Amino acid sequence: MLKYSLKRLSSSFLTLLIIISVVFVLLRQMPIEGYFDNFEKADEAMIQAKLNQLGLNDPIPVQLWNFLKGLVHGDLGTSARYSVGAPISGIIAKKAPLSIKMGVLSMALSLVLGIPLGAAMAKGKGRFWDKFGTVYIVFINAVPAAVYYIFIQLYGTSFLGIPMLFDEANPVTWILPVFSMSLGNTAYYAMWLRRYMVDELNKDYVRLARAKGVSGKSIMMKHVLRNAFVPMIQYIPTSLLYTVCGSIYIESLYSIPGMGGLLVDVIGRQDNPMVQAIVMIYSCIGIVGLLLGDLLMGLIDPRISFVKKEGAR
Amino acid sequence: MLSIKENKSKKLEAALEAQLTKELDAARTGEQEINEDELFVLAQYDEAAGEKTGYSNYSYWRSTVKVFFKNKVAVFLLFVLAGLLLFTFIQPYLPGQYPANQINNNPQTGKQLSNLSPSLTTVLVTVPEGTTLSAAPVKDSEGWYAVHNVLDTLQARTKFTVIEYGEAWCKVEYKGKTGYVKNNFQTKLKLPDDPTATPYESRSNFKLEMYMEPQDYTNNGTALYVEEQLLTPAQDGTAVTNAEAELRVLPSEHAFWFGTNNIGQDLWARVWSGTRTSLIIGFIVALVEAVIGITVGVLWGYVRSLDRILTEIYNVVDNIPQTIILILISYILRPGFGTLVFAMSLTCWLGMARFIRNQIVIIRDRDYNLASRCLGTGTARIIMKNLLPYLVSVIMLRLALSIPSAIGNEVFITYIGLGLPVDMPSLGNLINEGRKLVTSETLRYQLIFPAIVLSVVTISFYIIGNAFADAADPKNHMYKS
Repeated sequence: MLKYSLKRLSSSFLTLLIIISVVFVLLRQMPIEGYFDNFEKADEAMIQAKLNQLGLNDPIPVQLWNFLKGLVHGDLGTSARYSVGAPISGIIAKKAPLSIKMGVLSMALSLVLGIPLGAAMAKGKGRFWDKFGTVYIVFINAVPAAVYYIFIQLYGTSFLGIPMLFDEANPVTWILPVFSMSLGNTAYYAMWLRRYMVDELNKDYVRLARAKGVSGKSIMMKHVLRNAFVPMIQYIPTSLLYTVCGSIYIESLYSIPGMGGLLVDVIGRQDNPMVQAIVMIYSCIGIVGLLLGDLLMGLIDPRISFVKKEGAR
Repeated sequence: MLSIKENKSKKLEAALEAQLTKELDAARTGEQEINEDELFVLAQYDEAAGEKTGYSNYSYWRSTVKVFFKNKVAVFLLFVLAGLLLFTFIQPYLPGQYPANQINNNPQTGKQLSNLSPSLTTVLVTVPEGTTLSAAPVKDSEGWYAVHNVLDTLQARTKFTVIEYGEAWCKVEYKGKTGYVKNNFQTKLKLPDDPTATPYESRSNFKLEMYMEPQDYTNNGTALYVEEQLLTPAQDGTAVTNAEAELRVLPSEHAFWFGTNNIGQDLWARVWSGTRTSLIIGFIVALVEAVIGITVGVLWGYVRSLDRILTEIYNVVDNIPQTIILILISYILRPGFGTLVFAMSLTCWLGMARFIRNQIVIIRDRDYNLASRCLGTGTARIIMKNLLPYLVSVIMLRLALSIPSAIGNEVFITYIGLGLPVDMPSLGNLINEGRKLVTSETLRYQLIFPAIVLSVVTISFYIIGNAFADAADPKNHMYKS
């Protein structure tokens, strides 16, 4: 287990390094306008001075090395257009807690909604909840999230009679963003839990328990649900990514001052250093999610070897 | 006790002996007690029966189609989707369609026909034969006249004489002309205590139109359009209808079925053009996924020396969230069709390659492949004939599902502002345009129409793909032939 963990950890670290380098090098290919807040007005000498000051005239490997050195100290560079000259780590530190809070809330909500839905679907195969759940899962999987997010905001706010935009101090405005963000994961959990529970229900030990006279409810709760829960762990990374993607939509829709909305904002303003920093953070979240999922799986299932599973993105 | 047992065995022995001698005798004499059909008979060679054993009625594809057609929802959606695809691609060649990027102007005023509500017809009102209207030929549209029946426009607080009072219309005289004005809460005519005691002088608090007849043949004050042959023009700029005439809001018989957007482009044409763009993106991405995914997957699975390297590369690349790659590539390159397709193609084949590799590793060393190799079959032939047909159903499923996901990705990229330019309509940028107008109830149709079409397309692909995958699984063929 330890050997596996170390190997997995080093592989993740290597990937992270590669991604940071690739993102960095690719973003150096962008036009230099993205480093200036007033490129049109600046003359040649000013541009060169600024480029020198930012170290952008150095060869790319030197720039990359300097960036990595800064990264170790938690320095992501400074914003060029969004908030001129401000350190990016400071901007993100201000924005991230809200995003994390929302993400955690929505993932908790999707567990609360998704697990009972999946269990109800497996229990009454072909009956109302199964049909309802199937329609819901197909809808969520097939229709792009943007479409139903917009309609939820539109009709949800008018139906509940709450403001369209988010206000951190007003708890009512948290409902719809968190609910919308949880929809994708709810469908995902319900789908996989149902599949695993149906698999589990067909196993011999369930038949034995039934023959012994254990009640159906007890079989469901004590055996089937518990056993079906274990493989669900490998979907943690994907659901983490769903949440991140959802937050990009949701935060800009409801004007939530978080990181997802920030990404859309800085892309619109072509703020290269900010885009670079946020993209790196998101890749980092993705990698950590996958690592976490693999390690947890390894912890639970000793048969696991150094291979990746299907279904994880 | 013992004697009884001995006795019994002796009796049994005696009975056996008697039976044996009897059978022996029978054999010797040729007497047979067994009847004919219990004996073996030498079988004749029957050619038809020989053929029969070697033939099975089972056909994989026929069973697949049969099982698929049992799923009513999927079949229904298949027809919907087929119709939609066909319509999307022939729509521009149908008569009377507006080009998707044409900005439609009102020919009389030159203003854009912006945010017209969806309507199935351009006819606003039908007038009877013999109606007098003021008419002028439309500059840019041959054969059309712009008509209205406004005689004069009275400014607010202009005095006029009411010569005949009515609940809805009052006949008035102003500057020697007689006409009709509306009498309602919007015009607020200044009336005496007994308004029927005409004539008297009156005025309005607001600007007021004086019509030729107690009918309003205008479109909120702008001109309507009528075909030339329905009018008989007079000398003084008026014309009389020579038959029952339909007055239209546009100098055209073709309505904006889905309305227009804020710069007067036809939303109907844009929705179909957008569906076309999105589907083409989906098809190209699916094609790339098929070609690269299968090629890499086969090499990865079949060529042992490549396995380790490719697995390591895969582990690194697969760790990067695909969304991030999509955002990054779209951000670096100039937004456009090529960029979008390239960004999606870059990662879409990973899952497919991984899957094919796993399947090939499982089946490449099965006995029939080993035998085939021993007989000298070439590698290419083994892959094409022995391995890939195994995977056709799953490949088809992944392709069917990659189309809705490509469409969804396009919506996502457009949403964060890196999508196609607006002069290239796609479902993504139509929805994004519609989203900005969503707060206004009357303009919501600009979001709803593309959203409905998008949902129908993606849900259809998703359900058909899954139904097909179920049908292509031989396990589901068993009880059904």
